[in-house]
Amino acid sequence: MKLTDEEKRILDGEQGYLASKCMKFLVAYGEAADAECLVDIDGTVDLHGSRNPYWTDDFRITDDEIFEAARRGEKFKVPTFANKPTPGFIVDGYEHCCTWPDHDPDYHKKRMDYMKPLIQMGMVPTLSCNYYLTSTYWPTAGTHCSWGESSAIPWCNANLGARTNFDGGFQMAYLGKVPCYDLHLDEKRKATVLCTYVGEKPLATDMDYDLFGWAAGEKLGNKVPAFLNIGKPTLSQFVKMNSSLNTGGQVRMYHVPGVTPEAATLEDAFHGEKPQEEIEITREDLEKTYHMLNYATDKHIDMVFLGCPHYNIVEIQKAARLLEGRRCMAELWVMTSPGVYDMAVKMGLRDTIEQTGAKLMSGTCMDELRGQLPPYTVFAMDASKQNYYSTGHLYPRKTQCWYGTMEDCIDAALTGYWHGEWR
Amino acid sequence: MGKTIVIHGRAIYGGHAEGEALVSEMPLMGWGNVKPNEGCTVERNHPLYKVCFKDKILVFPYMRGSGGFVIYADSKKFGMNPAAMLVTESISVIVTMAMRLKQPVLTDFDIDPMTVIETGDYVEVNGDEGCVIVHKKSDGEEKE
Repeated sequence: MKLTDEEKRILDGEQGYLASKCMKFLVAYGEAADAECLVDIDGTVDLHGSRNPYWTDDFRITDDEIFEAARRGEKFKVPTFANKPTPGFIVDGYEHCCTWPDHDPDYHKKRMDYMKPLIQMGMVPTLSCNYYLTSTYWPTAGTHCSWGESSAIPWCNANLGARTNFDGGFQMAYLGKVPCYDLHLDEKRKATVLCTYVGEKPLATDMDYDLFGWAAGEKLGNKVPAFLNIGKPTLSQFVKMNSSLNTGGQVRMYHVPGVTPEAATLEDAFHGEKPQEEIEITREDLEKTYHMLNYATDKHIDMVFLGCPHYNIVEIQKAARLLEGRRCMAELWVMTSPGVYDMAVKMGLRDTIEQTGAKLMSGTCMDELRGQLPPYTVFAMDASKQNYYSTGHLYPRKTQCWYGTMEDCIDAALTGYWHGEWR
Repeated sequence: MGKTIVIHGRAIYGGHAEGEALVSEMPLMGWGNVKPNEGCTVERNHPLYKVCFKDKILVFPYMRGSGGFVIYADSKKFGMNPAAMLVTESISVIVTMAMRLKQPVLTDFDIDPMTVIETGDYVEVNGDEGCVIVHKKSDGEEKE
């Protein structure tokens, strides 16, 4: 990989031990990825707001190194936001979660304290998979970023027109550089597949988009599609679709001609070339996905989990309206980001939700908490991603999951029984 | 032993390994759906559900899902890791997983390994030369 003179000097230690260590990682990573050079990040970085600043043991930045860098007053070079801490812990609403060790105030303090050096260095503690909905600081079109949350990658690439691979980490934030390959390059961003929704019923509900994302992702894998006939998704629907596109498949970049910024027209999406492939997604594909996710048999619900990806404020409002004045028969967790949680408190929505016996929480999700859940087996959820990973996370517990709309799930929480069906 | 096929690719992580192939027709997924201590996927609906990949040459078309795919590399801590991985299409998370696994991981092949390797074939991987030698277990027809 070709380095600039400045980058070589950083590698040689001119800017200190930590900069050199970070550069060594970027060089090793860039060479393994077959990148030609590094690019300066002029957008943003995200990282898991907790342990494992990077996942590669040989290049791991230790807790002591971060602590010392923060103590020296060093700052990240670029705006940096926090994804959910991993392993997960509940940031707000932990006091009544009834799981160990999350309900313990000492544990909570320990986890919050652990992040302090990163926050001192500039990491904004958004602590959410959709940190981009509360950070209020979006990278602009064409800027280079380094993001690391699967469901967020298309928000950067497709919805904002900024450029990222799936690689956000401490080293990128510290040096403000990232290997320049794949989705940083014009050529890799053009659509190669024309993917048309051909169902007789237009995509309308949030669940439709969640299912469409899965069905399309499964057929597309890593490819870049242009989506046609998917209507005008709302923000909630884009966020859900981005999440399922990166569970059923790995669609990190797409175009919706006339909607997403890199393609005013279909021709733009393909950079003037012909599609290499054309595929159709039918209503039957959505139905098949629905039934794949709805494999449960016991209709008596133990627990309902909502908020994957973390609910935005409009989704919280909707959940609160459905719950208002009622009483839950099953455990219900509504999960959001810490930023939206604060807004929900100000608006009285937390009280509305919690007066029903449900719990509003922030900063994690059922799957990120792994086994740290009440010992339930029958769940209901409105997110394909959470549903599909839950059996793995709770393995070897014999988990059953129902899947449906937010309305189906809240009905299940209120009645303790699953009434949802395909419609 | 059947015939021998040689394919060439690019090493994300170099080194030598050999062993029996375990081919996943479905993409692989990490995070909660891989159990590093048992050396297998626990993704429900997966054809390789609970099929151990320890010491295998794990062949798959691409990864899908969470960045927790890197947890595949944690299998090494339990001595349950694949000897090598051959992946048709790589993305950034495969690269970081390979750097953590520190076993040969190859991609960008002249011939897609998914079209020539079947479970049970004996495969030699020379990551440093980007070379994969496939000893077919039988003289049967090549995979469609």
